[in-house]
Amino acid sequence: MGLFERVFRGSDEMFAKAEAEVNKIVAEVGTDAPLTMPSTAYFLACIYAYIGKKVTTTGELQAALADVKAMMLREPRTHSIFQSGVGTAIAAEMIEACKYVKTDAPYEGTNYHGHFTDAEVRELGVPLVTGDIPGFVVMIGPAPSKEEAVETIKGYQSRGIFVFLIGGIIEQAVEMGVSMGFPVRVVPVGEEIWSVGHVISLVVRAAMIFGAIQPGDVEGFHRYTFDRINAFVNAYKPVNDITVACGAGAIKLGFPVITNDHDDMWAVPKSLIIYDDTKDWIDTSIEARGIKLKITKIDIPVSFSSAFEGEIIRKGDMQVEVDGSRKDCFELVVTKDASEVEDHKIEVVGPELDEIPCGSKISLSYTVEVAGKNMQPDFEPVFERKIHQFLNCVEGVMHTGQRDMIRIRINKADYEAGFRFKHIGEVLYAKIKSEFDTVVDKCQVRIVVGDEPNAELRKHANEIFDKRDERLKSMTDESVPVFYSCIMCQAFSPSHVCIVTPERLGLCGAVSWLDAKATNELDPQGPCQVVTKERCLDERTGRYEDVDEAVAEYSHGALEHVTLYSLLEDPMTSCGCFECICGIEPCSMGVVITCREYAGMTPLGMTFSEMASMTGGGVQTPGFMGHGKHYIASKKFLKAEGGVGRLVWLPKELKEQIREKLNETAFELYGVENFADMVADETTCASGDPEELLAFLSEVGHPVLGMEPFDM
Amino acid sequence: MDWDRLITIEQMEEATNALLETGKKVGADSWQQRVKNQTPHCGFGEAGTCCRICSMGPCRITPKSPRGICGCDVHGIVGRNYLRFTAGGAATHSDHGRQICHTLYQTKEGGAYQVKDPEKLKRIAGEWGIETEGKDIYDLAHEVAETGLMEYGKPFGTQRFLKRAPEYTQKLWHDAGIEPRAIDREVSQSLHMTHMGCSSLPEALIKQSLRAGLSDGWGGSMMGTEFSDVLFGTPKPVDTEANIGVMEKDMVNIIVHGHDPSLSEMIVFYANDPEMIALAKANGAKGINIAGVCCTGNEVAMRQGIPMAGNFLQQENVVLTGACEAIVVDVQCIFPALGPLSKCFHTKFITTSPIARMPDSDYIEFSEETAAENAKAIVKLAVENFKNRNPELVNIPNLKTKARVGYSVEAIKKELDGVCNTHVDEMGTLKPLADVVKAGVLRGAVAMVGCNNPKVRPDTAHIELMKKLLKNDIIVVVSGCSAQAAAKAGLMDPSAKEYCGEGLRRVCDLVGIPPILHMGSCVDISRMMILASDLAKDWGCNISQLPLCGCAPEWMSEKAVSIGNYVVATGIETYLGVDPYSKGSSEITELLQGETGCKEWVEAHFVVETDIEKLGDRMIESIEAKRQALGI
Repeated sequence: MGLFERVFRGSDEMFAKAEAEVNKIVAEVGTDAPLTMPSTAYFLACIYAYIGKKVTTTGELQAALADVKAMMLREPRTHSIFQSGVGTAIAAEMIEACKYVKTDAPYEGTNYHGHFTDAEVRELGVPLVTGDIPGFVVMIGPAPSKEEAVETIKGYQSRGIFVFLIGGIIEQAVEMGVSMGFPVRVVPVGEEIWSVGHVISLVVRAAMIFGAIQPGDVEGFHRYTFDRINAFVNAYKPVNDITVACGAGAIKLGFPVITNDHDDMWAVPKSLIIYDDTKDWIDTSIEARGIKLKITKIDIPVSFSSAFEGEIIRKGDMQVEVDGSRKDCFELVVTKDASEVEDHKIEVVGPELDEIPCGSKISLSYTVEVAGKNMQPDFEPVFERKIHQFLNCVEGVMHTGQRDMIRIRINKADYEAGFRFKHIGEVLYAKIKSEFDTVVDKCQVRIVVGDEPNAELRKHANEIFDKRDERLKSMTDESVPVFYSCIMCQAFSPSHVCIVTPERLGLCGAVSWLDAKATNELDPQGPCQVVTKERCLDERTGRYEDVDEAVAEYSHGALEHVTLYSLLEDPMTSCGCFECICGIEPCSMGVVITCREYAGMTPLGMTFSEMASMTGGGVQTPGFMGHGKHYIASKKFLKAEGGVGRLVWLPKELKEQIREKLNETAFELYGVENFADMVADETTCASGDPEELLAFLSEVGHPVLGMEPFDM
Repeated sequence: MDWDRLITIEQMEEATNALLETGKKVGADSWQQRVKNQTPHCGFGEAGTCCRICSMGPCRITPKSPRGICGCDVHGIVGRNYLRFTAGGAATHSDHGRQICHTLYQTKEGGAYQVKDPEKLKRIAGEWGIETEGKDIYDLAHEVAETGLMEYGKPFGTQRFLKRAPEYTQKLWHDAGIEPRAIDREVSQSLHMTHMGCSSLPEALIKQSLRAGLSDGWGGSMMGTEFSDVLFGTPKPVDTEANIGVMEKDMVNIIVHGHDPSLSEMIVFYANDPEMIALAKANGAKGINIAGVCCTGNEVAMRQGIPMAGNFLQQENVVLTGACEAIVVDVQCIFPALGPLSKCFHTKFITTSPIARMPDSDYIEFSEETAAENAKAIVKLAVENFKNRNPELVNIPNLKTKARVGYSVEAIKKELDGVCNTHVDEMGTLKPLADVVKAGVLRGAVAMVGCNNPKVRPDTAHIELMKKLLKNDIIVVVSGCSAQAAAKAGLMDPSAKEYCGEGLRRVCDLVGIPPILHMGSCVDISRMMILASDLAKDWGCNISQLPLCGCAPEWMSEKAVSIGNYVVATGIETYLGVDPYSKGSSEITELLQGETGCKEWVEAHFVVETDIEKLGDRMIESIEAKRQALGI
């Protein structure tokens, strides 16, 4: 049978299943039953994207069947198999959606993940941009053996490739005890092939969120996925017609399929690759999708990959814990003279890991000393903040905190594998030398273990931290000579530009002014470029002619004007991977902020996902703005609208993270003490009702009540 | 799907009309006018039923007079005329090839002509059993050239390049008795057979037509192509521009026209000479601009990225711009009209070949031995003519497109390597193309070739058929004036993928090619024969089973008939938009177009269809039928 016929049969099969499921649920609950996928502002994302319809009820779902049917073209032309393939993916989404009609969590208690939330999609933004997630694989199983399944999954994971599992391979992974879940980037999506609908839903939402592709702009979605989403499929034999039909959809989106099934299968270069040696699929697939891997060779006995960043080490699995909350610990990067640094010297002072009893909480510090002709002390904190990511990428190592409040757990498996403290040094050396190669010529690491020496060393480190804080404090938008642009996200969000200033870091939270400066020095033609600030047009809103010019240039004409400090007048755009979003709360004339981690409702009657969907993709939406967490406590936050005093509500967890600085800023700006307590959260304004919010604000005497209404 | 980014036929015609207005002002003649003068054409001539081979006639066949004076019937007369037409084309193409062999023989270290692709030379030497080991490259070049020249007159044996065809095809040729022997012998024998009192058996005449055609396509033309690559480099993708707007208002415009790259390559070389550029500036020009017309345009475009000003029926247009300092020609397809036309302007009409001597031209004979000084003299003459330009007559229509050209078989394989997976696939083959066709993503391929002919609205058939094929996921390879039609319209711009069906568009995206692949000039149709042969080998079937066909919708020359014969004889169905003067004989028509004759001998035949829309439909039907027969 020809390839086309197989696609047509498979898509008919998927459509018939969708039709049956949809009609069944409608027969059960009627056509008016609400249908919402959890925590998304994009409805049934595939239907929304490819057909342009918002499905909110079972009746609307049923009505969409006709639209999908219309995509099932049957001409002997590639257009027909592509349309049918995409139609098959939409039909898959419909089948899965039926499961969410009666419950929010149909997969609870199973091994399966099912639907992805918008927050999960957004979480992918930064790692995609930085290349930490170089691509996605959808593995449709079972693999030839469970051992091979694990080997391949781990192989992808160790290369940072995000793994989606569908079908029999999940059982194999479970049986072999593979740790799975969104944070470790191995997601068992679902048992049946239609769970692929969740993956495509994630993909099209990425296009809407980061690429600002408009619902219904079918060509736009296809171009975005083809050009920017490095996904591919591994389909183990036997591959049935329905999977072939899904494959046609994948190929239309630009995702090659690799299979070992020869029966009625037709090779298509770079698109459908038939290859028996399943053990060689990883490299074959990476080549097929044209993925470039960032490879850092690090001499350690365990894996190193961004996929392990989200890994959690539980107490029971822990060999040792470096506990900065109880012991003297710290991490520090300092600049030295070249003569004082011996390149690649890794020194462990005090006992090694094998000399410490299992389960101990210990005092440990590491000092990274760097030297280089182009090194500047201002880069020290930039490197230091990256240590968190570097160490978390080590399989079996968890790192949290910074400076003298670090906590590091090393698990038993690592210890068994021969991981020692010196390997922390190896990781830091290798990563700092590779990521900052243009400024770091030499690097050495000293690790000190033991209460006594660290007590003394910590004091010294804190003196350095204090000095840095002084310098940072003095570093204001007015005191620095230039700002920087950041277009790191343009791989995914082609018309967004961040303008990064000392008092306004990038909205992803990952790029401070110093980061941008360092990035510019490291790669002068790179994503961060100098933006002069010589022609200020309006100090209140932070409007500069220079900034406008930069924004117009780097957004390729998509944007003409941007202010640095206003929410209402030409606010800065967002790529989609912002940490927080703020929006106007009209009753109080304040603003509400919510963050990615908070899935609950806000007093705007919108969740993070819904608010986030108002902006992103480089689109300017006055009244909504994505930003970084640390911008909230900046004196420049909403300066044009009166500053952080406008803040009336934010999730409690976020409030606690920024409490101290928030209070400090509010005191400086308004002379108000304990401002954080005046800001409502989900505990003090439980109903999320604007009236209740207003009552709370009046009770605590929130400064917003004395401010002018917004000039809207 | 709209075509608004393409230059339309209407825009081109509008530009031509504006140029003809200039022509009127200066009293110029034009082919458009001459077509009017010549219409209606002679019906006997069109049907092929007039015989003037001996002086007893001319004899014209009608129902009342069904035989000529010698007793030859209409089938014999049409068949003889057809064979003579073929022999004319085969002689012409092959003589071009011979010229290139001579040029190869003239190569020397540091000389005007050098070996630019030694690897290819060695490969051909290897095929021919010539020892390459330890040999000086120029000694080898001379030996290969001499061996090639012997292919024209060797007393025994068949053409060496036949071995390149699949064994199945070679056997078909052998069994049909049409394996070409020495090239000159096939041409001579064709003339001999058609002499008064020789062959009048339709089958014998058509078989000899195929044989003479094969001596061209697998002999003279193939040597012309291969040795041009050895001499001037095997083409690889290069970006250039096309249409009349490539002429530059402030520069000395030298148009090269004709066929033989031995001349044009030298002209291009000396146009870049600092001394000449300085001379141009001294004469008030900003520099020297070379542009090509006709197949010479194809040759220099695909090797040097020289822009293409137009194809066959635009040769007068370049002079009518009033901005053409010189039109330098060698052989074939050159209108004698250029002589008188150039006299209406300051243009120098420079003929260079003893084969193409014309009135009203400056004759600077170009020979391989003195190529450099000849070329320099020609460029100098053009440059010094710039000051004679009459600015009031200058009108360069603002039509210009981007084009990516230069897809030799070698280049196509290299591009296809780019979509191979190093873990899975073998490199350097046409298998990716075979796979994509087998899967159905592409339905097949069409080779569009041939000229312009005023019997068809110029370029319309080429362009409309291409558009139709592209929409139907059929990839198009082109050469000759068909190639230039595509380029002028904008169809060779890689962004023309937008006008394709999704399958072809995806292929263009992944491989990074335009949907229409420029394979060269008309001798380069031999490249297409190699492409088809290699594809059949990599596919594992016979050429005649492949879902592909040839098409010459606007053909006009004897060469085109010779080409048609070798394309069909290679096993490729060939679709013609103009009748080859054969409709007067039902038997000849049957042998060429029916189920007996060619179809039985070589498994392919001609299809003549003057309705362009139907011609396209029939090609697509044929491709789909071949797919079905293959079970794909």
